[in-house]
Amino acid sequence: MEALRTLFPASDFTLLAAILALPALGALVNGLFGKRLGKEGVRLMALAALGGSFLASVLTYLLLPAEGKLTWTAWRWISIQGRMGQSIPIDVAFSVDALSGTMMLVITGVGFLIHLYSSEYMKNDPGFHRFFAYLNLFCFAMLTLVMGDNLAMLFVGWEGVGLCSYLLIGFWYGEDKNAAAGKKAFIVNRIGDFGLLVAMALIVYYVGTLRFDGIQSGASSLLQNVKIWPIGNMSSGTLPGFLHFLLPEQPVTILAATAVGLMVFLGCAGKSAQIPLYIWLPDAMAGPTPVSALIHAATMVTAGVYLVARLSAVFVLSPAALAVVAVTGALTALLAATIGLFQNDLKKVLAYSTVSQLGYMFIGVGVGAFAAGFFHVFTHAFFKACLFLGAGSVIHAIHVRIHDTDRSQDMGNMGGLKAYMPITRWTYLIACFAIAGLPILGSGFWSKDEILWKAFTVDIMAVSAPGVSQWMWPSWLGRAIYWAGVTGAVFTSFYMFRSYFRTFHGEFRGWKIDPTWKDPGHGHGHDDHGHDDHHEEHGEITGPVPHESPLPMTIPLMVLAAFSIGAGFLVAEPIHVAPLAHKLEPVFALSSRAIRQREGTEGLLFPMMLPGIAAFLAGTVGAMVVYQNRRGEPERRFATMFPRLHRLIYDKWRIDELYDATVVGMVDALADIFTIADKWIVDGILAKFTAALVGFFGTVLRAFQTGRVQVYAAAMVLGLVGVGWFMVKPHADATVNDEALRRSGEVKLSAAPGLGYSYRWDTPGVSETTFAKTTEHTVKLDPGETKDVTLRVRNAWGSESSETFTLTRPAGGRRGATEPGALPAPQPPTLPTGTIPAERIPDLIQPKGLQ
Amino acid sequence: MATYIPLLLLFLIAAIIAIAMFLLSTYIGPKNPTPEKMIPFECGSESTGGRFVKPSVKFYLTAILFVVFDLEAVLIYPWTIQFRSLGWVGLATMGSFIALLVVGLLYVWKKGALEWER
Amino acid sequence: MNLDPFLAASPLLVVALGGCLLMVAEAFSKHGREENDSRSAGPSGDLALGTAITLITGAIFSAGIWFVGPDKLEGSRALEPYLILDRFSLFFSFVLCVGGALSALLAGGYLPEHKLDRGEFYPLLIFSTLGAMMLAAAGDLLSLFLGLETMSLGVYALAGFRRASPRSTEAALKYFLLGSFAAAILLYGGALIYGATGHTDLAGIRAAITSTAATEGAANPAVLLIGVALVIVGLAFKVSAVPFHMWTPDAYEGAPTPATTFMAVAVKSAAFATLLRVLVEAFGDPALTSWASGWPPLLAFMALLTMTVANLIAGRQESVKRMLAYSSIAHAGYVLVGLVATIKVGGDAQASIMFYLLAYTASTVGAFGALILCGSRGAEAVSYEDLSGLGRRHPAAAMAFSFFLLSLAGTPPTAGFFSKFYIIKAALGAEHYVLVVVLVLNSVLSAYYYLRVLVFMYMREPAPGAPLARPMRSGYVTTALVLSAVLVLVLGVFPSTYLEIVAQAALASR
Repeated sequence: MEALRTLFPASDFTLLAAILALPALGALVNGLFGKRLGKEGVRLMALAALGGSFLASVLTYLLLPAEGKLTWTAWRWISIQGRMGQSIPIDVAFSVDALSGTMMLVITGVGFLIHLYSSEYMKNDPGFHRFFAYLNLFCFAMLTLVMGDNLAMLFVGWEGVGLCSYLLIGFWYGEDKNAAAGKKAFIVNRIGDFGLLVAMALIVYYVGTLRFDGIQSGASSLLQNVKIWPIGNMSSGTLPGFLHFLLPEQPVTILAATAVGLMVFLGCAGKSAQIPLYIWLPDAMAGPTPVSALIHAATMVTAGVYLVARLSAVFVLSPAALAVVAVTGALTALLAATIGLFQNDLKKVLAYSTVSQLGYMFIGVGVGAFAAGFFHVFTHAFFKACLFLGAGSVIHAIHVRIHDTDRSQDMGNMGGLKAYMPITRWTYLIACFAIAGLPILGSGFWSKDEILWKAFTVDIMAVSAPGVSQWMWPSWLGRAIYWAGVTGAVFTSFYMFRSYFRTFHGEFRGWKIDPTWKDPGHGHGHDDHGHDDHHEEHGEITGPVPHESPLPMTIPLMVLAAFSIGAGFLVAEPIHVAPLAHKLEPVFALSSRAIRQREGTEGLLFPMMLPGIAAFLAGTVGAMVVYQNRRGEPERRFATMFPRLHRLIYDKWRIDELYDATVVGMVDALADIFTIADKWIVDGILAKFTAALVGFFGTVLRAFQTGRVQVYAAAMVLGLVGVGWFMVKPHADATVNDEALRRSGEVKLSAAPGLGYSYRWDTPGVSETTFAKTTEHTVKLDPGETKDVTLRVRNAWGSESSETFTLTRPAGGRRGATEPGALPAPQPPTLPTGTIPAERIPDLIQPKGLQ
Repeated sequence: MATYIPLLLLFLIAAIIAIAMFLLSTYIGPKNPTPEKMIPFECGSESTGGRFVKPSVKFYLTAILFVVFDLEAVLIYPWTIQFRSLGWVGLATMGSFIALLVVGLLYVWKKGALEWER
Repeated sequence: MNLDPFLAASPLLVVALGGCLLMVAEAFSKHGREENDSRSAGPSGDLALGTAITLITGAIFSAGIWFVGPDKLEGSRALEPYLILDRFSLFFSFVLCVGGALSALLAGGYLPEHKLDRGEFYPLLIFSTLGAMMLAAAGDLLSLFLGLETMSLGVYALAGFRRASPRSTEAALKYFLLGSFAAAILLYGGALIYGATGHTDLAGIRAAITSTAATEGAANPAVLLIGVALVIVGLAFKVSAVPFHMWTPDAYEGAPTPATTFMAVAVKSAAFATLLRVLVEAFGDPALTSWASGWPPLLAFMALLTMTVANLIAGRQESVKRMLAYSSIAHAGYVLVGLVATIKVGGDAQASIMFYLLAYTASTVGAFGALILCGSRGAEAVSYEDLSGLGRRHPAAAMAFSFFLLSLAGTPPTAGFFSKFYIIKAALGAEHYVLVVVLVLNSVLSAYYYLRVLVFMYMREPAPGAPLARPMRSGYVTTALVLSAVLVLVLGVFPSTYLEIVAQAALASR
C-alpha cells in the first residue's frame, strides 16, 4: 500500500489516466475494428476494459486519503481572462475524493455487471460491436463527468453522456418511435445544458475559477446581488418613451448564489429528469434494457444529484435555491409515483419509479442533507439496476415468442413466471424489498428514511452579507416535504409489488405453453425486431416453456441483489453503521455548517421511522391483497368506478399532452407565426435581399475575375496606386490625454507620428508659424474654459492636413453629479432575523486549512 | 549628383550614335530598288514559308544552359582575382558552388538535354 | 573549425542536400530517361517517400535545434543579417517542411493516378521548400529576394506541371507573369529603400527609419515611404491579399492539386513569415506603425477587403477546388487581422499568427488531400454535384473531408477553432473591434460554403446519370490525411500548451 502511495502521489495520481483510458480504448477498438474482431473479441475487449477500470477504481478508493483528494492534471487546456483581468486556467484535470470515488465504483462496478449482462442479452443483435462501443464510450464520458476537477471537464463529460444516451436510446434507429425518443431526450437535455452553461459563465464571472475546490473556497463572492432587469444600458435615457413602462422603480436583483443555484438546477433537472423536464426519461426506455439499467437508472440520471452535491458550497448560500430543489424533488417524487401506479408496461413502471426515486434524491440534497441524498444515489444504483436487469431477463424470456417490443414488455403477457425463472424472481423480489424500504434489510430503507428524517428536521441558516437579503425557509416546509415523501413511499411500495405480483405470480398469460414447441426457423435477437408478422391474439398462440436466462445474465442479477441488501449497511446512520458516511464527511464538512437540526426534534429519530415503515407495509400489503389474493380485481373496479381518473393517471396525468398543448403548442404556434413572418419578411425581403446582395456582390466581384491577365495586372496597379496614395497623403491625428485635466487643467496631446512628418500646433492666442518635429503638445485650461487646438502636419511631399480638437474643462467642484464613480453610498445592511452577519461568513464558508 | 553626369553623357552619346547611324544610312545612302533586291536574302536559296518561323524549343534549352554556365564564368573571374585573400574558405565556397553546378550538369546530361537529336 | 553555423543552418542544408541527391537519383534511375508511358510504374512512389523523408528530416532538425536553443549555438549569428536563424525561422522551417512533406505525400498518390507521373515534381517541390525556408529566415532584402525567387520559380513550374492541360499552362503563365510583376515591384521597393537609407539589412533599415523620423534630413522620407509601400505590395501579392489576389483562384485551380496544396500552405506561410519579419523588424518604427499614417491601417483595410471579398466569391463557386482557393484567400485575411494586432499586443498576436498558420497548414492539407482522395482518374471530384451522396457511398472519404472542412470553418474541438479564437483574442486585446466583428461575420459566411460540401455529401442523392466522384486508393494520401488529422486534433485538444511553445518564437521576445 505504501509502495503504491509513493508510486502514485496524491497530486499526480496517474492511475486515474488508466481508469479513463481503458473504457476509451474499448470504445475506440470496438468502434473501429469491432466488425473484424468478431463478437467474442468485442465482448472480451469491452469486459476487459470495464473490469480493468473497476479494479483500478477499487485501488484508487483504497488509496483515498482521509481528507483531501487525489489529483491528476493531464494538461493545460486553455486559459481565459476573468473580469479582473486575471488569467483563469482551465486544465484537463481529474480528481477523486470520497464522493467521486464512490461514484466511480458504482459506474465501473455496476457498469461491468451490465456489460456482462449485455454480452448475452444483445448476443444476436447485428449492431453488437456498435452497442459495446457506445456503452464503453458512455462509461468513459460518465467517468470524465464525475472525475473532472473543474466544471469545464464535468461539462465535457455531461455532454458526452448526453450524446451516448441519445445514441443508445435511438440504438434501433430503424423505428421512428425510438428515433423520436432519442430526439426528445436530446432536446430536453439541451434546455438543461443551457442552464448549466449560464451557471458556468456566472461562476467564472463572480468566483473567477471553474475548479471545484476554488468554487468551494471562493463561493462567498457569490453573496452579491446581480441585476437582472433592466438589462444592459437600458434606462430612461436610452429607451424611447413608450417603452418606459418596462423600467421598474428599483432594478430587479437576485442573489448571485441563487442565480447560479437555479441555473445549475435547471441543468440537473434536465439530466436527472425532474419536473418540468422529466418527460424524456420514460420515453428513453425505447433503448435496449441494459442501457436503461446503466444509463437511465444507475448512473447518468444521477449526475444531477452528484452535481448539486458537488456544488453544495454554492447551494448552502442560497436557501431559496435549496427550497426550489427540495420542493421540485418532492413534487416529482409524488407525481411520478402516482403515474407508476397503473402502468402496464413493465419498463415504464420502472422508468417512473426512477423519476420518483430521483425526486427523493433531490429532496435529500435540497434540504441540505447532501450525504443522505448521495446515499440514495448509491443504493438506488444497485436495486434499480437489479430491477431493470430482472425486467430485461423477463422480456428476454417473453421475447422468444412475442417479438413486438411493446407487447413483450406488457405485464398483461406475463404472470406466473416464478415457476420458470426462479433466479430472476428472487432477485427481483429482493430488489423490490430494497426499493420499497423493508426495514433493516432493504437498503432503500436506510437511505430513504435518512432523507425523510433530514427533511423533517431541517433548519437552514441563511448566510447573509451587506446589502443582501436572504429568503428564509418557513418552518412548515420541511415537514410538508416529509409527508409528501411518506405518501410517495406508500405508492412506491404499492407499484413495485404490483409489478412483482403481476409478473411472477398468477397464471402465465403470454401464450399457451407447449413443451414440444419449436421455433419455426428464425433465430431472433431481442427487441430488435419491432415489427414482424406475428399478429396472433393473446393467449391463442402456443410457445415453449419460458426459460430462465443463462448465467451471464443471472450472475449480475445475483450480485446486484446481494448489494441491494448489503449496501444498506454502508449507510445505516441511525444504527451507527455507516462507513460510507464517515468517508464522505470531509467532502461536505463545509456546507454542512449551514445546516442545523431543527429544535425540538432531537429525540424523534426512531419515532419518525414509523411512518416510513407504515408506508412500506401499507403499500406492500395493499399490492399483495389486490394482485395476489384478488387477482387485480380492485384495480379493475377502480377503473370502472372512476374511469376518468384511472384513465388520467394511466395517461401519465396527460403531462405530455399538456406540454404538447401548451409549450410545444405555443412553440408550434410561434413557429407558425414565424413561418409566415419568415415567408414574407425574412424570406421574402430579408433573406432574398441579403442573399441577392451577397450574390450580387459575389457576381460583381467575380466579374472582375475574367481570366484575363491584363485585368489582374490592372487590379494590382490599382491596389498599388491606392497604397501609394495613402502613403503620400498626410494624415493628422492625435491622442488626447486628459488624466490631469481635473487636477491642473493640463491636457497632453500627442500627434500620431509619421515618417517625414513635421507638426504645428495652433492654439487660440498662441500661434506658431513653423513646423517642427515635436509630436507632443500641452494645453492648459482654466475651469470652465473651452479651447480649440488645431494640429497641422506637413509630410515629405509638402502637402498639409489638419485636425481640430475641442478641449473643455468642466466648471465647478471636484465632483460633478454626472461623474462616473459617484455611486450612492452603500446602505448599511439590515439583517433578517436568523441570518449570520457578514463578519462570520469566512468562518462559516472557509474551511480551516483548505489549500 | 555631379559624378553621374559623365555617365549620363555616355548614355546619351551612345544613343545618339546608334540612332544617327540608322537614320544617316536611310537618308544619305543611294536608293535604287528593283524587285530582285526586295526579296529577303537567304544565302542564295529561295525563301519559303511565312515571316515567322517557330524556333525549336531546343534552342531555348541551349540558350538557358549557356546563360547558366556563362554566369558561372562571370562569378569565377572576380573570384580568381581575390583567390589568395579569400583563402581556404574561398576555395571551399567556390568548390561547393561548382559542385552544385556539376549536380545540375549531371541531371541535365542524364535527362538528355545535351543531345540535339533524340 | 567551428561547425556551429552549419549546425544552425542544418535544416536548410539537409533539405538542399536531400533535394540534390533525389534529383540525381531520379535522373540516374531507370525512370529518368523514359517518356511517361503508363506501362511501367512511374517514379512517384520512391520519390514521394524520399521527398517526405527529406523534408521531415528538415522538420526534425528544426525541432531539434529549437529544443537545444538556437541562441546556445555560438555561430548561429554568423550568417546574419542574411539568414537569421532564430526560433522564429526555426518554427517556420518546421511548418514549411511539414507542409512540403505532406504535399509530397499527396503527390505520391495523385500524380500516378492522373498520369502525370514525372520525377521533376519532387526536386522542384524540395527546392521551393528550401526557398520558402530561406525566405522565412531572411534578414536582408537581398536574401529575401533570393529566397522569394527560389521559392517562386519552382512553384511556377509546379503550377504548369500538367503540360497537356491548357488550364494548367494558362495558370502557370498567369502566375508567372503576375509573380514577376510583383517581384519587380518588391525589388524596386527594395532598391528605393536602399537608395534612401544605404541599407539592405532589416535592422539597418529600421535604424535609418528611426533617425529619419526623429531628425530632419537623415534620409529622404519621400523615397523611403514609396519604397515601403512597394515592398508591402510585393509581399501582399504573395500572401494573396485583396486586391493583389487575382492570380490565386486561377493558379490554384489550374495547378495539379498537390501543387495547389503546396502553394496554399507553404508559399503562403513563408510569405506571412517574411511579411511579419519585415513589418516588425524593418518597418516597426512608431513613425510607420501609427494608426494614422503607417502601414497598420493599410493592412487592416486589406484584411477587411480580403476576408469579405474572398468569402463572398467563395460562396458563388461551383467547383470545390476553386472554393478552397477562395477559402485560402479568406484565411489570409484572418491572418492579416492578427498582423495588424501585432502592433499593439506584440508577442500574443505573433503567437496567434503562428498558431494559425500551423493549424491552417494542417487543415488545408487535409482538405485538399480529401479532395484528392475523393477523385480517381477521369472521375475527379470537381464540383459540388460530383460529391453528392458520397457520405453513403464512401463514408471514410466523406468523413475525412467533413472533418477538415469543419476545422477550416472553425468548429471546436479542432485546430481551426482555436486558431480563430486566438486571433480574435489578440485583435480584441488590441481593441480592433471592427476587424473582430467583420472576422466573426465572415466566419459565419464561410460556414455556408464549407457546410455546403457536407450537405452535398450527406443529404443529396446524385442525379441519375450524373458523373460521380469515385475515391481513389492510395497509401500516401491516406498517410498524409492521417498525419494532418492528428495534427488538427492535437492542436485542438492541447491548444494552450502549443500556444505557449510558439509564443517563444515571437520576434518581439528576442
